[in-house]
Amino acid sequence: MTDNIAIEISGLSFSINRTDIIKDINLTVEKGEFIGVIGPNGSGKTTLLKCINGILKPSGHITINQHNRKDLSTKKMAREISFMHQNTTITFPFSTLDVVLMGRYPYIRKFANEGKKDYKIAEKCMEYTDTLSLKNKPITQISGGEKQRVLFAKVLAQEANILMLDEPTANLDITHQEQIFKYARELCDGGKTVIAAVHDLKIAARYCSKLVLLNEGKIIAKGQPNEVLTSDNLSRAYGVNALVYKNRITGLLDFYLHGYEKTDKKEHIHVIGGGGSSSGVIRQLFENGFLVTAGVFAHGDSDLESAKVFGIEYTESDPFTDISDEAMNKNIGMIESSYLTILCNMPFGWQNMKNLEAAKHADKLVIIEDDDYKKRDFTDGKATKLYNELRKNAVIVTSATLHEAI
Amino acid sequence: MKRFKRSWIIPLMLMILAVVIVVAASIGTVYVPIQSIIRIILNKLGLVNNSGFEPYQMAIIYSVRLPRVLAAVLIGSALATTGAVLQGMFRNPMADPGIIGVSSGAGLGAVTAIALGLSASSIFYLPLFASVGALLAALIIFVLSLRGGKVAVFTLILSGIAVSTFLGAITSMILSFTSKDNVHEFLFWSMGNLYSIRWESVQLVFIPIIIGVVILITFARDLNVMLLGEEEAQSVGVNSSKIRMLILIVASITTAAAVCISGPISFVGLIVPHIMRIILGPDHRLLLPASAVAGAIFLVICDLIARIAFAPIEINVGIITSLVGAPYFLYLLIRSRRAGGVF
Repeated sequence: MTDNIAIEISGLSFSINRTDIIKDINLTVEKGEFIGVIGPNGSGKTTLLKCINGILKPSGHITINQHNRKDLSTKKMAREISFMHQNTTITFPFSTLDVVLMGRYPYIRKFANEGKKDYKIAEKCMEYTDTLSLKNKPITQISGGEKQRVLFAKVLAQEANILMLDEPTANLDITHQEQIFKYARELCDGGKTVIAAVHDLKIAARYCSKLVLLNEGKIIAKGQPNEVLTSDNLSRAYGVNALVYKNRITGLLDFYLHGYEKTDKKEHIHVIGGGGSSSGVIRQLFENGFLVTAGVFAHGDSDLESAKVFGIEYTESDPFTDISDEAMNKNIGMIESSYLTILCNMPFGWQNMKNLEAAKHADKLVIIEDDDYKKRDFTDGKATKLYNELRKNAVIVTSATLHEAI
Repeated sequence: MKRFKRSWIIPLMLMILAVVIVVAASIGTVYVPIQSIIRIILNKLGLVNNSGFEPYQMAIIYSVRLPRVLAAVLIGSALATTGAVLQGMFRNPMADPGIIGVSSGAGLGAVTAIALGLSASSIFYLPLFASVGALLAALIIFVLSLRGGKVAVFTLILSGIAVSTFLGAITSMILSFTSKDNVHEFLFWSMGNLYSIRWESVQLVFIPIIIGVVILITFARDLNVMLLGEEEAQSVGVNSSKIRMLILIVASITTAAAVCISGPISFVGLIVPHIMRIILGPDHRLLLPASAVAGAIFLVICDLIARIAFAPIEINVGIITSLVGAPYFLYLLIRSRRAGGVF
């Protein structure tokens, strides 16, 4: 059982000038896991990684592949753990091959030079990261993405079983950002263990098998990505409103973060929408700190997903049937208790006619009219008639001018 | 291309050094033909008999010029190698052997020997005091920059400046209380010269310099990795704090050995590594041996100029190296500033 454990950390703390940077970390990493260390800036992600491979000397106990950290010399440690640093600046024009060969350092004796085997390994690693064609180029003359892949090849050439990556995507274009993670994911599947400090939560959710959420030097959650990436945890760590939802298009976890806006305007606004017309409105109101309710949405409507994401109260009904009386009454209840009701730029069919009827109960009504309502009427004019009645006592705006009405 | 360069550049430079040694030995107030010099050297090595040269030529070449040229070889190579190693270790192109305090320490040692009248009684006292002073100064700076068992680079550079200034002040104070002759002797020493070199001086420093230079060259691969930065180096298994200490100790001894017989010779340790880096690139495995040989060539040539430029008056070799070195230093400064550097 213990053979399966790559790293075991207990009671790990590190402080500078009596200020704790990380405190009392306990963590067990199994072989083949891809651990993502997440948390806001300054939460101790990098410090944790540097404590594990001995760059920093923390208090506490760390076991690496059954060796006590303190028993490992720098060279031996380098054979167990390789480390890709953030922002490695190389100002000297070494060829990229020379840089990758530096990864072979822990295997070469003091008075020896790199042998054929080292060249073979270095070139194999460069081939893997698609940088072999650059091998004679000076490292100072290649692009940021290329440099990152060369440095990753160097980390691989070290042939350690544990790889540590410190924010490998920092300063890279979107197109290059995920490449290192793809490599790392593949290597994990091949049995290597990866621990990465990750800035981007989406990437962390996508590639890591386990996440560790740090805040102010302490682990506040660890486990599977969906256990760690909860609205509650993220709000606690990042100090902002964090919403976690499954992106309907990519099928991946997605995040919505925004800072707390401490406002006193807790007025209740009800949104009538459907067919995707109200998502943006709900977001806008939510960000402005209003108490939002919405309805009536049919199951499967993307507006309903938005309502879930923002955690607001809403009314729902079955799709392709008329809105039930129960839903209708609940909707009217929300409308009557609200200060303001917004009717979105939605299409009208027989099923959602009751939404228009409910709008009559509104004390103050704002109608968003981006497109001609006659074109949105699929009820042979019945909806238009109702709509015209509503318009008489309502403020008409477009999506762009909604904020003015509010 | 690179491998090719690596294999021929050092032998080529060694050949140039051999030529320069023979030429430098032949030129002087008394001209000795090159074939005679070669025969004298071969004769001394026991390879040919006593013919093809005059006895007076033998006296000039063997007793005066050869020890001097060999001292230039040793000192030049010691200073240039140390300079290259320190520049790499500090990742600072302006580092030179003076940064670890050896020059000022040697100065204080030298002035002490001179003021006590010891330098007049035996030629060994001045180098002895100078080397002890150099090593003590390096030790003080080293201890001051230790923090938790590690050498803090910036503390080392700054304490190096502070200690050097302090020792320089003591040196000046001693000079203001001592006789005019002593001041003159010290000034002559402090400008760096190979004037009074005899075989004894060469014997004194031969072993420490050769061993020191060889040890420093063996750190080439570690220094390469250390160029990537301290943490990066540690992550691939370089025990940089241990290596840094070893390098500082060996560099201090090597430089102290060089400075004690010649006085501080400025700029060799700064410009030779720079020229070599521009020509050969940053790889210390090539840069260090190349600097060692190039330093030797440079100092032998500078010493030759010092001997013949204003003959029969001889000027200090330190003046020549500075005359060449200072403009180059300024050139580096300006180029670095144009490139948006920090200097």
